[in-house]
Amino acid sequence: MERAAQQAVPLGQMEVFQALQRLHMTIFSQSVSPCGKFLAAGNNYGQIAIFSLSAALSSEAKEESKKPMVTFQAHDGPVYSMVSTDRHLLSAGDGEVKAWLWAEILKKVSVELGEGRGTQTQREPLRPPSAWGHRESYDSAIIQQAFLSMKGCKELWRRQPPYRTSLEVPEINALLLVPKENLLILAGGDCQLHAMDLETGTFMWALRGHTDYIHCLALRERSPEVLSGGEDGAVRLWGKECRIGGKTGGKGGWGEEDASHGSSSADLRTAKEVQTIEVYKHEECSRPHNGRWIGCLATDSDWMVCGGGPALTLWHLRSSTPTTVFPMRAPQKHVTFYQDLILSAGQGRCVNQWQLSGELKAQVPGSSPGLLSLSLNQQPAAPECKVLTAAGNSCRVDVFTNLGYRAFSLSF
Amino acid sequence: MSSESSKKRKPKVIRSDGAPAEGKRTRSDTEQEGKYYSEEAEVDLRDPGRDYELYKYTCQELQRLMAEIQDLKSRGGKDAAVEIEDRRIQSCVHFMTLKKLNRLAHIRLKKGRDQTHEAKQKVDAYHLQLQNLLYEVMHLQKEITKCLEFKSKHEEIDLVSLEEFYKEAPPDISKAEVTMGDPHQQTLARLDWELEQRKRLAEKYRECLSNKEKILKEIEVKKEYLSSLQPRLNSIMQASLPVQEYLFMPFDQAHKQYETARHLPPPLYVLFVQATAYGQACGECEAGREEGLWEQRPRPGGTGSTACRGKLPGPAQKRSAHRKSSQPPRQDKMLSVAIEGSVDEAKALFKPPEDSQDDESDSDAEEEQTTKRRRPTLGVQLDDKRKEMLKRHPLSVLLDLKCKDDSVLHLTFYYLMNLNIMTVKARVTTATELITPISAGDLLSPDSVLSCLYPGDHGKKTPNPANQYQFDKVGILTLRDYVLDLGHPYLWVQKLGGLHFPKEQPQHTVITDHSLSASHMETTMKLLKTRVQSRLALHKQFASLEHGIVPVTSDCHYLFPAKVVSRLVKWVTIAHEDYTELHFTKDIVEAGLAGDTNLYYMALVERGTAKLQAAVVLNPGYSSIPPIFQLCLNWKGEKTNNNDDNIRAMESEVNVCYKELCGPRPGHQLLTNQLQRLCVLLDVYLETESHDDSVEGPKEFPQEKMCLRLFRGPSRIKPFKYNHPQGFFSHR
Repeated sequence: MERAAQQAVPLGQMEVFQALQRLHMTIFSQSVSPCGKFLAAGNNYGQIAIFSLSAALSSEAKEESKKPMVTFQAHDGPVYSMVSTDRHLLSAGDGEVKAWLWAEILKKVSVELGEGRGTQTQREPLRPPSAWGHRESYDSAIIQQAFLSMKGCKELWRRQPPYRTSLEVPEINALLLVPKENLLILAGGDCQLHAMDLETGTFMWALRGHTDYIHCLALRERSPEVLSGGEDGAVRLWGKECRIGGKTGGKGGWGEEDASHGSSSADLRTAKEVQTIEVYKHEECSRPHNGRWIGCLATDSDWMVCGGGPALTLWHLRSSTPTTVFPMRAPQKHVTFYQDLILSAGQGRCVNQWQLSGELKAQVPGSSPGLLSLSLNQQPAAPECKVLTAAGNSCRVDVFTNLGYRAFSLSF
Repeated sequence: MSSESSKKRKPKVIRSDGAPAEGKRTRSDTEQEGKYYSEEAEVDLRDPGRDYELYKYTCQELQRLMAEIQDLKSRGGKDAAVEIEDRRIQSCVHFMTLKKLNRLAHIRLKKGRDQTHEAKQKVDAYHLQLQNLLYEVMHLQKEITKCLEFKSKHEEIDLVSLEEFYKEAPPDISKAEVTMGDPHQQTLARLDWELEQRKRLAEKYRECLSNKEKILKEIEVKKEYLSSLQPRLNSIMQASLPVQEYLFMPFDQAHKQYETARHLPPPLYVLFVQATAYGQACGECEAGREEGLWEQRPRPGGTGSTACRGKLPGPAQKRSAHRKSSQPPRQDKMLSVAIEGSVDEAKALFKPPEDSQDDESDSDAEEEQTTKRRRPTLGVQLDDKRKEMLKRHPLSVLLDLKCKDDSVLHLTFYYLMNLNIMTVKARVTTATELITPISAGDLLSPDSVLSCLYPGDHGKKTPNPANQYQFDKVGILTLRDYVLDLGHPYLWVQKLGGLHFPKEQPQHTVITDHSLSASHMETTMKLLKTRVQSRLALHKQFASLEHGIVPVTSDCHYLFPAKVVSRLVKWVTIAHEDYTELHFTKDIVEAGLAGDTNLYYMALVERGTAKLQAAVVLNPGYSSIPPIFQLCLNWKGEKTNNNDDNIRAMESEVNVCYKELCGPRPGHQLLTNQLQRLCVLLDVYLETESHDDSVEGPKEFPQEKMCLRLFRGPSRIKPFKYNHPQGFFSHR
């Protein structure tokens, strides 16, 4: 008799473990590929899954096509934020930003399709995940099967912004692309906005001002160009000049951290905090029992909408006054302008659609108990894939082909 | 003279009347006078028609005379009287004629009557004769049909065929030249031949009988010789026993057991052989490996031989000493194998069913029933059939599996002969008496202790697909209702017995296979032992949990901070249905993780006004499959994973990140650690809850834990991860 049989793991343990993992999965971020046909979704285990929207939306879609084409381990911690440039998929979570070539991912997808989906499980893992547990206690057999990975798909590059603290690596909660200056702005746990030049990959400057970690970023066409909202309850506007007199506190500023700062001639280089809106101080929208944090932010010319602990509110930026308070009790985690509507999602199953006047136009229920991100696929390259996707506290990404109802769900 | 006078008178009349009838009459009168007077004869001579004429003439004459007399009388006169007299005389003559005619008429009538009567009698006689003849004809016809329908006895006799007859019969019987053409003679000849043959066969039969008698007698004699041999051999064996013991060569015990094993049905035999082999192999391994998983218990060799079974009186063995069983000689190891049951009954099974004791008693019982009630009802018959179908083999194999702490798992394996499956009954005995906590009721119960040893193997369904058809016949819906009685037909039991059942198509010939049993023996034994140990560990933990103590062992202290304020206040078992009806367990039920083979518990953790309910699913595969927690916090409103991301994160901490909570191998402390972790998580949750500035008064739960940051990420998760030696909390 073989003594080695002692280590045999009875079947069933893995299935239970996988079921529990799926049950406790949270999808934090989504991003649509430049071609508009694929959707990347990142979860709390650091995995990124690529779904084919065109396959799932086609008339001959099967259950299979609602599963990821490919899944790979991108980060050790959760993937909090993802954006796509015209060539890259940028993902961030546990203090690092990584870039993946869309072309390479899609090549893998096509190989995957060619080989048939059944071979996924045989692929060797890129790296062992360390999202939980002591590393010594891993059962490698479980891990190998629990994580479907992409063979040879390695990030193009990885960068870590210069942090000051050493005890805990601050997370990156938000990524923002500034296309006209080819800049990537990162914000998160260390309460700063870091700007990275996408050309050289160098961190050029950082903007300080928030007193707690930053939840969200937004970009405006006019100055001040960058908005950030954070746990401290303030929305800060950053720009190169101070046109509006609402600036409070002189603590905002910018510091050079890289020796290469002279190499770029970006306009935002001279940016500073030009305006601060402390939302929780306004009685109309303050909700002290929920806290003062700002969870979501969106702008459109002179208008800004933000929500979180305080109620979801529409602000007029020039006068920095709240114009509409939307009657929604649950804290909102994502908000966006869409045509003449405002879409918001948060605690609760529904995607809320608001008129600018504060009227609730519709509440469309999804399949997750709470939503964290909405993504509107408006890529002109794939008009047939123009959908709204919503993800949150489940392993499912709800797909809305029109704003009226949930068509189906993609699932990890 | 008188005739003359009348003669004279008549012509007078004729003359006077001039009637021709007068003349005739006169003539006949004279003939009568000539012989003797016979009016009968006269009738024949006279013509009735003329008599009628005469009668009419006479009547007319009389009328005329009467009329003349009347006429004369009316005229009166003298000569009238003469005339009248004359006429009167003439009338008298006429009257006489009338009288005569009257008599004649009478005679004629009488004569006619007589003639008619005579004719009628004649006709009657003829008719009677006709009837008689018809009856006779009918009778004769009946007789003829009877004869035609007569069947001869010989037609029933089965005769040899015609060709065979002519081929085999001697010519003096067959007489071919006579019988060929005459079927009657042929049949007779064939019958003769038949009789001849039968006589010969009867003779042969008698010979055979006497032969048989003879052989029987011979057998009897030989048997007697053999039976006289047995006691002699026994006495030799007895005499050799001391020698065996002296030399410590217990061949006899082992031999006895193998002898018994010979009567085991094939699956049990395979199990017996494999288990014995495995037990011996392990014993040898253990001897070289002191610190192994299986405890080796060295025993002094000499004392063992005092027991007749060659077995040492260990605590478990004492308990089972009342069983009539034979034990293998090696007792100082963790696996012991024995055979239980009556060998005689097993032997009886090999005989034809009429001879077996079981069947006799069965048929007796049936007879009793039939005498009680003439016809047993359909239900009783079905019941009997069911019993017959579920019958166990009289022998069973007993496996005692000893664990490190002297607790023993007793497994009894049975074989259901008609269903061709094996079942097992399990019982756990411990070295020290356990205080049984209420919530631990099902942990060590024979019914569930081995449930789902391999995933999905709940032992409630028959593994032999062919059984379903047998069940349909006798109306058994499922084996589930009988497992308490029969034991559980787990799949691994079948594999240990070398029974392999195909999943898809039913197959009646299932052969027993040694290699199948051997390949599963080690894994299964390991699993069985792990199961018992984990159950005993849970049992111990439950005893503390019920009193609100979370029994964290010293080697797990590093997982938790020194100060934990939240307390476990309740630990109760709940029913599966109750679990599924809870509003916060929907996800688990939908994910298919709440099967009915699991055990369900409800824990309540409290700190101040906050009450955290935790519904726990305990998989039978504990601790390789972790208990699953679903939480519901009652504090400032009800919070579940649906409306609070941090509750969701807490569930994830205990359910998904369970591996760091397993503690030292084999990780049976997992449940305790998970509960303690839950208390810590609740502390963190409550202490880091942001204070609502608008509410007056101090915070209910001041922050005592050291945290780097309060919230992190878009979901604003609290710092639930505990860092050991530094003692601060951070985010995962």
